Amino acid sequence: MSSGHSYAPTRLCVSLKWQIMNSQQTNPANYAIYVEKLVKRFILMHRGGSLKRELLGVVSKLRKPVNREEFTALNEISFTVPHGETVAVIGRNGSGKSTLLGILARVYRPTSGTAQLFNPQGQAARIAPLLALDAGFHPDLTGLENIEFYGSVLGMSMAHIHERARAIVEFAELEQKIDTQLRGWNDGAKLRLGFSIAINTDPDILLVDEVLAVGDEAFQNKCYRLIAELQERGKTILFVSHDLAVVERVASRIIWMNKGVIHMDGDVNTVMAAYRSASQNSPTDTDNSA
Amino acid sequence: MAENLRELWRFRDLLRQLVRRELKVRYKNSVLGFFWSIAPPLLQVLVYTFFINALGARAGSGGAYMLCAIIPWTFITTATLDSSQSLLINFPIIKKVYLPREVIPLAIVISNFIHLMMGWTVFFVFYLIIMPMVPGKGGGIPLTTSMLWFPVITFVTVMFVTGTALWAAALNVFYDDVKFILQTSFNLLLLLLPVFYPSDVIYYGKHVRAHPWIYTLYMLNPPAAIMEAYRKTLLQPIQRGSYGLGMKSDPLYMNWPTFAGASVICFLICWSGYTYFNYRKWQFVERP
Repeated sequence: MSSGHSYAPTRLCVSLKWQIMNSQQTNPANYAIYVEKLVKRFILMHRGGSLKRELLGVVSKLRKPVNREEFTALNEISFTVPHGETVAVIGRNGSGKSTLLGILARVYRPTSGTAQLFNPQGQAARIAPLLALDAGFHPDLTGLENIEFYGSVLGMSMAHIHERARAIVEFAELEQKIDTQLRGWNDGAKLRLGFSIAINTDPDILLVDEVLAVGDEAFQNKCYRLIAELQERGKTILFVSHDLAVVERVASRIIWMNKGVIHMDGDVNTVMAAYRSASQNSPTDTDNSA
Repeated sequence: MAENLRELWRFRDLLRQLVRRELKVRYKNSVLGFFWSIAPPLLQVLVYTFFINALGARAGSGGAYMLCAIIPWTFITTATLDSSQSLLINFPIIKKVYLPREVIPLAIVISNFIHLMMGWTVFFVFYLIIMPMVPGKGGGIPLTTSMLWFPVITFVTVMFVTGTALWAAALNVFYDDVKFILQTSFNLLLLLLPVFYPSDVIYYGKHVRAHPWIYTLYMLNPPAAIMEAYRKTLLQPIQRGSYGLGMKSDPLYMNWPTFAGASVICFLICWSGYTYFNYRKWQFVERP
């Protein structure tokens, strides 16, 4: 009985050590982005739903799912992104790139599986979604009022917004215009403002949908310089793009998606070479005609 | 539910911004600007007061009886209708950015609540201060202790409207019919509810005398309960022979147990609306 107790502590130590070692690899909080077996299904309605149709359906018990069709946008995808990496997601239209980005930005809820984002300290990350830059703007408000509004949409506190307002206006090169209503602005100015607000939220992770750089060439170069600076500061960037030149310029890793699954995941040169030859050899092969 | 409420609290700055935007944008391009917020109740007060008096009704505060119903009714209908459209108007934002979606209809409720309070301010200034100063008829209303119930009744009103607004907003994303159903039923309710007549008229009706429970049922309906509660706590009892009340009928007094029942119904509407909204809110963007 006493001998049984004598070696129990050592065994406990061993198993604890093994657990710690193991958790280093699988603990999601060690990554910036942790995605495991992520599934997203959408329901497609072939005719728009209406209250009348539903009520009739209930009454006549004819509520068969004739006009409903499930569409699997993401089919059990898993990947991790370590802190400080810049990942490009490429693939044809309908391959699930934007759905993935939407789930990471918490706009969609996954059907099953997990998608988690962490900051380097292992807490929930601050996300800056550069998805639709002028979505939150109201044309009747001035630039400054829109900064206050869109800033709080992105989760900034009022104090933080006022502290950053000058930097936002300066980066977007708007000067006096900022006190006028947005309805008089050109599209470029609106995009510059949206980009500038999103980038000034102090994000841990940037989620970008095709809008890595906006405006004219000079401003685009400024955007790229800022991206490079963010990369140096160890920020994680995940972006979706069809522009392969941009992908090569910014990313260090590519996730190639096709029909809701990850087709290839690796460093830029390898995946790019495979992607180029695939789209040259059989351009319709990866088409989602389904 | 607790987690949803915590998340809502975390986004309180956004809620404040949304309310400010609602208030700012509404009159942004109008010449009179914010004056339009107090103009409708002001004009209502003037029109009802002088219209009723011009028709020769006895009570000088006749307009007050109608306004006690019309002011909360305007709040109930505009807040519910506005929020039924709010998610669709803000669809570009909720499709692209994470935010607790309930802030959008809640901002509508709050901005309309501010208009409600402006309406009541005009009401009280007019009937407590201005009208008693007018020599002659004495069309004002006396200050009474029962007016202390005002915040309680207003709280019940806000609870009810929060519930209907959340229900309307969530349902309207999936069914465009909701807006039309609301508009039609609001028009019908304007006649069914004690807006242009006191509930006493219903109470002394022939069929209701035979079955008094009909009246209780009628008064459990939140808008009717709210309107009558405002009237019976803010105003003097109506006189025999006025507003369609017979010469032999005694005016009714506030029935608190029924109002308590209506308050419970308001709470249930609010709670169920919030629960339903949260249950549905992640499907909004996937609307077929």
